[in-house]
Amino acid sequence: MSNTREVRTAKQAEEEDVFFGQTVIMWARWSVIVAGIALVLWTSTNVALLTQTMPFFLVLMAVNFFLHGRFVMGSPLNRTVVTVASVIDIVLITAIVVLWPGSHGLNNQFYVLYMPVVFAFALVFTRKIEVAYTAFAIVAYAGACVLTGTVPFDLGNEDKILVMRLIVIAAMGFLGNYYFRIQRDRLARASKGATRWASSTASRV
Amino acid sequence: MSTTKWNPGSHLVSPDGKWYWDGVSQEWKPVAQPAPKAEPSPTPPTAPTPTEKSRGLDSFVGTIRSEDLASGQTVLVWARWILIGTGLLLSFWTPKDLLTLQVQLAAIIALAFGNFYLHVQLLRGRPALDNVVYGASIADIAVVTALVLVQGGYPSPVFIFYFAAIVGISVAFPTVVTAGYTALVVGVYGVISLATATTDEYPAVFIRLLTIAAVAVCGNLFARHEAERRAEAIRRHTEMLDEIEQKSSTGGQPDVEHS
Repeated sequence: MSNTREVRTAKQAEEEDVFFGQTVIMWARWSVIVAGIALVLWTSTNVALLTQTMPFFLVLMAVNFFLHGRFVMGSPLNRTVVTVASVIDIVLITAIVVLWPGSHGLNNQFYVLYMPVVFAFALVFTRKIEVAYTAFAIVAYAGACVLTGTVPFDLGNEDKILVMRLIVIAAMGFLGNYYFRIQRDRLARASKGATRWASSTASRV
Repeated sequence: MSTTKWNPGSHLVSPDGKWYWDGVSQEWKPVAQPAPKAEPSPTPPTAPTPTEKSRGLDSFVGTIRSEDLASGQTVLVWARWILIGTGLLLSFWTPKDLLTLQVQLAAIIALAFGNFYLHVQLLRGRPALDNVVYGASIADIAVVTALVLVQGGYPSPVFIFYFAAIVGISVAFPTVVTAGYTALVVGVYGVISLATATTDEYPAVFIRLLTIAAVAVCGNLFARHEAERRAEAIRRHTEMLDEIEQKSSTGGQPDVEHS
């Protein structure tokens, strides 16, 4: 007698979250790498500047080659490694914001690199991990701006700009994870054979 | 041939509902029209008929994009509330001049009314018309663009609200539409920035445009993966139902022909 094929379990769904999510995180990281390398090559005015700035992106590129290679070979890395790699992303972007020659902290335009990274991470992990990661990104960026002395704390325009940026970083994490949870719910209902979306959608809103 | 009149309440009906047991002639006979109504005898779950499919599992995927739009619409609505809330907060924080404040508040309040309508529709379980949702997203982009223009183009820090708008668009809309909206944002903001920035600032313009596009790609990529996963889950569920039905129709014996 043939066995009835089971629908996916919660554990399988979690593993698939990381599997599919890895592609999103990797593409987000590729966008950061491409943007960074293009900028480094574009804006460098001497050899010293180029050699100081390029290593940030070479490290990210090495990490992503490793992750993408494993993914393509059909053996994607586990949740811990993906999380660590994503933390490295934040650390490197913060290092760029702090150390980039010419403009530091609030005046550095590389802060936009946080957006795709935080958003991609929020599409993959559960709420608690996502909240921790988004908070880490917010604290890292706020700390970078404070450490570089580019935020005067006088409730003036600079403070306003910093608050605006932090809110948008938080929004990226919230919206990404909100959509992630909607999709988990839809997938679970599809697996169970539920048919109506409306009541669930209304209850979520 | 037996002339026994069909009475659904007094006969045993086959699992598929097409045959009934005629106790007089001791034979299984085809059920006469109209088809028998629900018999108290246990019947196995059956696969949905074609007429039921439009409201069945298939509605989670495939051609019915409105449901994808509806689930993504909640993200769009919340993204817009974030835009409205933050916009209001920042408008009252060291306003520069009367004209700027007037434009900001008028645009944000108009957006709030529109979003309230969309949110109410969702709360009532009625997704808004697709065209209204598409139009509202155009309004988001238009409001952010207006604020950027009022504040001088490239120097305006308000451009980061494009990110929130693009996040909602990328997960709610099909790939082609997402690409169109993203191209619109990148094109409009690119032109504005290039017209108002100095050549030294072009790299920053480039990185802003690239990250906006990256967010759109990530969101839409994820939405597509999720649609594939749902399709796979539905396929498995349908297979499971078919197998249950086969087992039931063969009385729990292995179905040699189909196995």
